[in-house]
Amino acid sequence: MTAMVIDNLHKRYVDRYTGEEIVAIGDVSFSVHEGEFVSILGPSGCGKTTVLNIVAGFIEKTRGTVTVGGTEVTAPGPDRGVVFQSHALFPWKTVLGNVTFGLRMKGMDKARREQAGRDVLELVGLSGFERKYPHELSGGMQQRLGVARVLVNEPAVMLMDEPFASIDAQTRRKLQQDLTALFELRRPTVFFVTHDIEEAVFLSDRVVVLSGRPSTVRDIVEVPLPRPRNWHAAVESTDFRTTVTRIESLLSGEEAHVGDGS
Amino acid sequence: MRIAARVFAHPVVRTLGPFVPVVLLWWLIARSGIVNESFFAGPGVVWSEFIDLVRKGILPSYLSDSVTRLAYGVGFGLLLGIPLGFLVGLNRWARRLTWPVLIFFQAIADIAWLPIVIVWFGFSLTAVTFVIVYTIVFPLTLGVVAGVDQVPDELVRAARSMGASRFRVFLEVIVPGSLPAVASGIRTGLGYGWRALIAAEIIVGTSGIGFMMFDARRVGDVAEVFLGMIILGILWYALDALVLAPFEQATVERWGMVRQVETTR
Amino acid sequence: MTATAPTTTPRIGRTRRRARPSRLAAAFWFVVPFVLLLAIWAVTIAVTDTPLRTFPQVNDVVGAIGDMIASGDLARHLGASLARIGIGAAIALVTAIPFGVALGASPMLSAFFSPLLRFSVALAGIAWIPIATLWLGYGNGAVIFIVWNAMFFALTYNALLGVQQIPEQLLRAARSMGTGRIRIFWEVLLPGALPSIVTGLRIGLGYGWRGLVAAEIIATNAGLGYALFLAQSQFDTDVIVASMVIIGILWLLMDRLLLAPLERRTVERWGMKAVS
Repeated sequence: MTAMVIDNLHKRYVDRYTGEEIVAIGDVSFSVHEGEFVSILGPSGCGKTTVLNIVAGFIEKTRGTVTVGGTEVTAPGPDRGVVFQSHALFPWKTVLGNVTFGLRMKGMDKARREQAGRDVLELVGLSGFERKYPHELSGGMQQRLGVARVLVNEPAVMLMDEPFASIDAQTRRKLQQDLTALFELRRPTVFFVTHDIEEAVFLSDRVVVLSGRPSTVRDIVEVPLPRPRNWHAAVESTDFRTTVTRIESLLSGEEAHVGDGS
Repeated sequence: MRIAARVFAHPVVRTLGPFVPVVLLWWLIARSGIVNESFFAGPGVVWSEFIDLVRKGILPSYLSDSVTRLAYGVGFGLLLGIPLGFLVGLNRWARRLTWPVLIFFQAIADIAWLPIVIVWFGFSLTAVTFVIVYTIVFPLTLGVVAGVDQVPDELVRAARSMGASRFRVFLEVIVPGSLPAVASGIRTGLGYGWRALIAAEIIVGTSGIGFMMFDARRVGDVAEVFLGMIILGILWYALDALVLAPFEQATVERWGMVRQVETTR
Repeated sequence: MTATAPTTTPRIGRTRRRARPSRLAAAFWFVVPFVLLLAIWAVTIAVTDTPLRTFPQVNDVVGAIGDMIASGDLARHLGASLARIGIGAAIALVTAIPFGVALGASPMLSAFFSPLLRFSVALAGIAWIPIATLWLGYGNGAVIFIVWNAMFFALTYNALLGVQQIPEQLLRAARSMGTGRIRIFWEVLLPGALPSIVTGLRIGLGYGWRGLVAAEIIATNAGLGYALFLAQSQFDTDVIVASMVIIGILWLLMDRLLLAPLERRTVERWGMKAVS
């Protein structure tokens, strides 16, 4: 089953300062299957976040179609949960309040949504923090909450916009590991934006590699790593290394100094 | 030494402590007789004036007049200013058509409205209330607009992508997100409203602390003028400590959001 | 705000301000609301047939301003008001900033003075009118005192806060380069506290401006506040509204020509944000 289809997506806008027209996305097509983890990777400024924002319904496309679960995307909706780089947690809501927000919008009664919230908090390792406010959590914990808040709504596709980019390197490894475990357990459909090649390969089933602006799909790379995955095994596997190298060459064939993938 | 340090670190001592030497200095100056008595009243005289006015019932009744006026003004001010602020903050056309005018109305210092208001309503309570409402509405409206502007886009997007309707986004995101700026708008507005009240009471002159002070000045009763100023100061302190600060502590600070700069434009 | 999303992408979410229009469009959208306001005003007065005694028609006000210019009243009142606020503000700047910075530099002094200053800021300006007129009599002295007083406490307090917010590392850096005490004041403390001082100046000037108008109503025989008061006693609503408009324009000019450029040239240019 296909969860999400992007077909001939094109995005143009006029720069506010210079007045010149900029083509952010040239022509992008790919699809994501149900229960699949797909990353999108490309040189910085190539418009990968723009793709995600269009899928989320935050910005309008110029041409092309985006369908999620069979219906075309026109506005933001709960079928596409977004995990933001900046976490975007509500500072005025407790951890439990944040995680049950979507369920409350659905009109679920208090007892049920709090139970569901507690369950998912346990899943991401945030049990016992229900009554805390976001600013009282560490960056890593905040992003766990960001993931939990989306996961609990069981969206058709989970959109993740460089979710670990602002987190320190060690915590990031741990979060990637935990996200993989979570994915393998729950099998949500994930569309993941990143500029970190190793992260993309480790997490994904397939990696969509974009060219520089105006972006087109350079290639879609299958990741041959078996699941369950873990970092120790991954870094030692030749499949991991060859896939990373292949994506690196795809990106560097494009332009100089890409893939500052740290 | 340790105990002394702990005593000095206590918040009550830290806040009120500095007033002790000031009162002492005040007493010394009055006592020394350097300053002419008709221009300067010592703490003792002011205190007995206080007791006297309380006993006569003048002070309690004036005080309650002033506080009631302020409360009316603030109440109406909030009722008008907050919805107006959200309207202007959220609606593009409302903003386009009103923004410069709002700035201009804010610029016409509130006191300047007093003469025309007196023409309309005479020397009455309505005139005073009108001016206070005016002083509070504009800083508050501008504060709410600033608050709406600084709600991060991502929070709105997050709420929308979790299925919140526009109205729910307003209630759950825009309103709490703009609270820091709204709180500082209320602070600024109250600061002006407070001054407007005093000025209006002096000029309209029927009752209230401002009237009391100016009336005392007319008959040359320095002690009463001093007393009025002290009462005004204490009242503001109480308002700040009992209403504004706890409100901010329970919301903005609890949520880890930064308190906003007082904006005055 | 997303740093990654292109700046102009139209949003599907709620409509939001800050489309950066051209200068001409900005000027247009600045004028339109005022034109609309004047139109509503003119039509309302005409339709409801409001007497001049209650509220003047637009052309009455224009006429009143014309008369005030012709008779020299405007120049006289304007001159008096501007001189008072100028002198009061100048004295406040000279006295408050060094005082506040000096207090802020000492943790002991700032802990001691902070509650006193907070108390005084709450009281500054108008509440001093009775005592000021008692001490200095009715006239220029009392009005200038009120302007000074209204600004002094807000400026001092904000200068103090500003100094406290200077990162310790900046002071250490300056000292490690052998900067003397006086140089530290000029090179580190004063510029470091400037964002907060500018905030204080805005607040103080706001209080001072209101204090000026109130004091002029009560205590003098010249100035815009006095013009207002005189017109009120004669029920000249056209002169009242004309004076109000002039007061509003003056404040806007003061804000745009003095405060805004000051902020642009210092705080914003240095990439610092005012915090208080």
